[in-house]
Amino acid sequence: MGDKSTPLLAVLQLLRKYNLKGTEEILRKEASLGDVEYESLDLPEVEIASILTAHHTESDPYSYEFAYDSLKKFIENSLDIYKHELSTLLYPVFVHMYLLLILYDHTEHAVKFLEKFGPEQEDYYQDDLAKLSIVKSKDQIKGNELAEIYSSNKFEVQLSRDASAQLKRFLQEQKSSTVIINIINNHIQIDVHDGPGRTQAQVRATAGGLLGEATKNENRTKVYYGLLKEPDIQVLPLPVEDEEETEETPDKPKKKKAKKDNIFMKKPKSDPNAPPNDRIPLPELKETDKIEKVKALRAKRVQLGPDCLPSICFYTLLNSGNTAICADICDDSTLLSVGFNNSTIKVWTLTPVRLRGMKSAEKLQDIDREAGDVLVRMMEEKDRDTCRTLYGHSGPVYKVGFDQFKTMLLSCSEDSTIRLWSLQCWTCLVVYRGHVWPVWDVKWSPHGHYFASSGHDRTARLWATDHHQPLRIFAGHLSDVDCVQFHPNSNYIATGSCDRTVRVWDCLTGTQVRIMTGHKSAIFTLAFSVCGRWLVSGGSMGDILVWDISNGGLTAALPPSHTSPIHALAFSRDGTILSSGSLDCNIKLWDFALITDETPSEETGSNTSVPKEEKFLLRSFATKNSPIKSLHFTRRNLLLGVGTYEGSS
Amino acid sequence: MGDADLTYGTSLTIDSIKVIAESVGIASLGDDAAKELADDVSYRLKIIVQDAMKFMHHSKRQKLSITDIDHALKIKNIECQYGFIQPDSLPFRFASGGGRELHFVEEKEIDLSEILSAPPPKIPLDVSVRAHWLSVDGVQPAVPENPPPLSKEAQKLESVDPITKLSKPNSKDSAGKPVCGKAARLKASESVHVKQLATHELSVEQQLYYKEITEACVGSDEGRRAEALQSLACDPGLHEMLPRMCTFISEGVKVNVVQNNLALLIYLMRMVKALLDNQSLYLEKYLHELIPSVSTCIVSRQLCSRPEMDNHWALRDFAARLMAQICKTFNTSTNNLQTRVTRLFAKALQCPSQTNNETGNGPSMVTTMKESEKTPLASLYGAVQGLAELGPEVVKVFILPRVRWLGERVEGALSGIGGADRLAAGNLKHQLLKVLAPVVRQLRQPPDVPDDYKRDYGYLGPSLQQMVSKLRSSPAGGSSGSAVAVVSCTPPLVPQPTPSTTPTSKPAETLATRNVVISASSAPQSPAPSTPPPQKFVIVSQQKPPQTQTSSSAGHIVHSTQPTIVRSQNVQSVVVTSGPAGGPGGAGAAAPQKLVVVGVPPHQAPASTSHTPQHSQAPVSVMAKPMFARSGQASQPTQPPPELDDLSHLA
Repeated sequence: MGDKSTPLLAVLQLLRKYNLKGTEEILRKEASLGDVEYESLDLPEVEIASILTAHHTESDPYSYEFAYDSLKKFIENSLDIYKHELSTLLYPVFVHMYLLLILYDHTEHAVKFLEKFGPEQEDYYQDDLAKLSIVKSKDQIKGNELAEIYSSNKFEVQLSRDASAQLKRFLQEQKSSTVIINIINNHIQIDVHDGPGRTQAQVRATAGGLLGEATKNENRTKVYYGLLKEPDIQVLPLPVEDEEETEETPDKPKKKKAKKDNIFMKKPKSDPNAPPNDRIPLPELKETDKIEKVKALRAKRVQLGPDCLPSICFYTLLNSGNTAICADICDDSTLLSVGFNNSTIKVWTLTPVRLRGMKSAEKLQDIDREAGDVLVRMMEEKDRDTCRTLYGHSGPVYKVGFDQFKTMLLSCSEDSTIRLWSLQCWTCLVVYRGHVWPVWDVKWSPHGHYFASSGHDRTARLWATDHHQPLRIFAGHLSDVDCVQFHPNSNYIATGSCDRTVRVWDCLTGTQVRIMTGHKSAIFTLAFSVCGRWLVSGGSMGDILVWDISNGGLTAALPPSHTSPIHALAFSRDGTILSSGSLDCNIKLWDFALITDETPSEETGSNTSVPKEEKFLLRSFATKNSPIKSLHFTRRNLLLGVGTYEGSS
Repeated sequence: MGDADLTYGTSLTIDSIKVIAESVGIASLGDDAAKELADDVSYRLKIIVQDAMKFMHHSKRQKLSITDIDHALKIKNIECQYGFIQPDSLPFRFASGGGRELHFVEEKEIDLSEILSAPPPKIPLDVSVRAHWLSVDGVQPAVPENPPPLSKEAQKLESVDPITKLSKPNSKDSAGKPVCGKAARLKASESVHVKQLATHELSVEQQLYYKEITEACVGSDEGRRAEALQSLACDPGLHEMLPRMCTFISEGVKVNVVQNNLALLIYLMRMVKALLDNQSLYLEKYLHELIPSVSTCIVSRQLCSRPEMDNHWALRDFAARLMAQICKTFNTSTNNLQTRVTRLFAKALQCPSQTNNETGNGPSMVTTMKESEKTPLASLYGAVQGLAELGPEVVKVFILPRVRWLGERVEGALSGIGGADRLAAGNLKHQLLKVLAPVVRQLRQPPDVPDDYKRDYGYLGPSLQQMVSKLRSSPAGGSSGSAVAVVSCTPPLVPQPTPSTTPTSKPAETLATRNVVISASSAPQSPAPSTPPPQKFVIVSQQKPPQTQTSSSAGHIVHSTQPTIVRSQNVQSVVVTSGPAGGPGGAGAAAPQKLVVVGVPPHQAPASTSHTPQHSQAPVSVMAKPMFARSGQASQPTQPPPELDDLSHLA
């Protein structure tokens, strides 16, 4: 459509709407528009409005610069209490002005505009601006991911009541240019809150999302962040326990049953924040699993704290030459699996116990199924190995994960599939298809049976091992969902994304219950605290943020100390120490008890937080040129790290 | 953000598009079309790179690879780019000429038959897992698997600028040790902060280690010594003990030079070598102790009790190499190390005629003449060797002018009666010939007339002439035409070692005592500190530029004669000539390309990569020794097998 005739058509449509036939006739004659165009007057109402209002400034690309400048001056001159909140308006206005300039073919002006005002935008928006700057024509807006996100969604800005009143007054005075008013009307959602304006630090803490801050309203839903009531296996007689968990168990009692063991045994029996045990149907515990669980509970655990730091055993992958991507260590720390660039998965045993395969079908028939040691008997005796390789994927394997009882392994890959592997017969059991594009992350539910995945298609999905279709699809992220994590009570999953938001989804309803902004870069890893209340996220700039799930607020931003993307976070089993591993070859230990303990004091007086923040970091350990791929606390609170040695250069 | 301006709106230039259009056969592409294309292509390229970044991040890497691009293309439903392999870095070359600039990836022509005939490449090792303790109860143990507690950069910074250490608070990051005990209590009680003296308290373990190491290094058990040297050369975290070690070495040298204990001197020099080889140590602070010790071992008039029997020459050679290594590693513009060392050696070579010219003063002339006349031949030998290790340029400036006088000394000693003197003179003569021949070869034009040599170089002239002509005829020194080009821009081509008698061709059996004989067989299984595993090679590729090069406007690509380093394990010395091997002075049109692979001992290789004049001559000195000792088969068959007491395997 020619850019000249579009506004004319809009005017025609407007005249027609108000039934001004005479004027319409004259205009048509003058512009020599035929009947064909006349028939095609079906522009939507909003577009007419934007075209007509924009038409005024279209002829004058300089007015954008002027308008932006005046907005900037207004914000600079406003009172300090409003200044910082109002300044969050600048970026969306800037972006949409740029897009409008492009839309109206003023490319040179757009580039000049970007060069003039781009560098003064917040540093965390610079990446986006660089991405946006490649858009240089109208057609490119249509296909560009970022530009489409901006034009089809509203940017969220939070203003206090007074600040928004100030803004309104300014906009009314600004008669000459309607550009800003249009942009604010069409593309910005102003969320007015009561109370005083926020300080610069407060604004900055939650800014950074692709589309501005999360509004408070979105985080109103109650989240049952407490842990499930754990059946006390040792004390309770078996029938009672079965009673508790018999409801809607999945049909067949297979070995996929799993149980998490990160339990606080001393938890009060009735946690008001805990979801009912039957909120999500959970698998029944099998006899053998219970034995394993008891073993896990009985393991002696070293009490950790700032004065008693864990020992770290580091597993270095040698000769991997950049091919190893991800690693996982099973819960009892006996197996290590590594996913490779070349589509293979390798599983190593970390103990003298060799890996064994299952006997062939004929031989299995000879085994007495009632025997007590049937599980041992069914394994091959001769065929032993310290390392086994799983073949099946056709692209890099981005994540591997052991189930709780190390009988199964999940993996996801660039080939857009998720595979379930048996660690008894060492074959692939199921291929889950559903994601359209590469799958970035997959995680087991702490209770087994369920797993969650996320991928390039901007969705996260919830699966059950016995369904080949996802049970839930969580859509809402504006960009790739880079990581996913199950809540310890299996009722929620958290996702982190390139759009710099962390979201929490309810597995039961499939709705988004929390959205948290504050990250200034893509989020690559998430971890729930042992108690289930806190969520920790690590980003690509080495930033680590701690969130409170109960209200969706930011609890703490750990002082920046990593310099490269963080790809591993792990909590000690007693929840006192947080460890983070980064590509900058450093493992850092943080005093998590102190971080969360601070919460009440920070609300009352923020002046005490400064010295405290320095105490967060307990110790930092450098590895020898080996970026950290995975961290894992054993049941006895020994920290295991996995990294690849990248040569001495 | 300073680089923000750079990132906004870069795009391919119209010129590039036109060049690409030409390459696919579109001769004349309009400016508008080119601009349109340039914009569109840049847009698409950027989108692809953005997506590829996602794959990079999820592969937990920080370097974009070609597979990332492939995957990004795949999610856009575009066919992958096949046939690109990924070397460590994309070697984009730049060329300009005829007003055009061009970036290109250099692709060398590969001779398939050569690849076919070559032994199959090594199979890459399988991925393996290795566990170690990164931290034990919050303390990082100093094992080789962990990074050194204090990085070499930090040590360097500390030695260059000691203030930084004081101003820097005891940060948790670098210090792997918890703040505990007394220090912590002091801190807590806010006591008056007393600036601590730089004490070097050693823990009990460190004291034990020091005792063990020093005993093993000078003890009689060769196996233990190898282990100890290995530990010195490889262990990180020795920097706290460095002052003690260096004092041990310097004191040891002082005592043993007086007592003429050759074996112990050798052991001490090997300790120096091991410390120098340790990647995690920065020795600059201790050079004031090490350099006098090393230079003593080079030029001392007597190093052993029986100069006529013992092979102290090898020690001088070895120490000279150490000195060269020290100079190359630590020479800076502020300490002028190499200049000072060179002056030291040059003083020893001071010949009477020159002092005459320099001073022009009667009495002093007499004294210096007397002194220099007295300079023992062994010291002369050491000085020559020390200078030779510093490179051919040094040889040219400092040794060549004195060759006549040195020749006289040699002549005098050879005709004399003293057995020890004769031996020393023989060695000195041989050494001089070996050192000078390559230099002279490049200084003089081919017709080698013995009389000219005699006239220019005195007594040593004729022997030198023989040596030079032998060099010229040896294969590596082939086309003399290219040799000229080499001198200008690349390290000089190194000739194959010429058949000659080694300086250590003396009867060895007398020396086969427990101390001196270091069995060569022990070297292979334990990588002794003196032979670090990967050998480096300098590949010098050169192409004789065609005569028409400068005038051609079409923008021919001039192959830069830039040396690249390859690592290899087994090749000692290979000379490859590819393409039509032009004869001596071959026609320039054929532009024969020559690849010369020169085996260089690792400790000297880094220097040979740089282009600074004194460094670029390294290969010459390199060839002097190791070729004899290490591989008999690689060098010429006429060469005598390595002697048992030949200590050159130390290198």
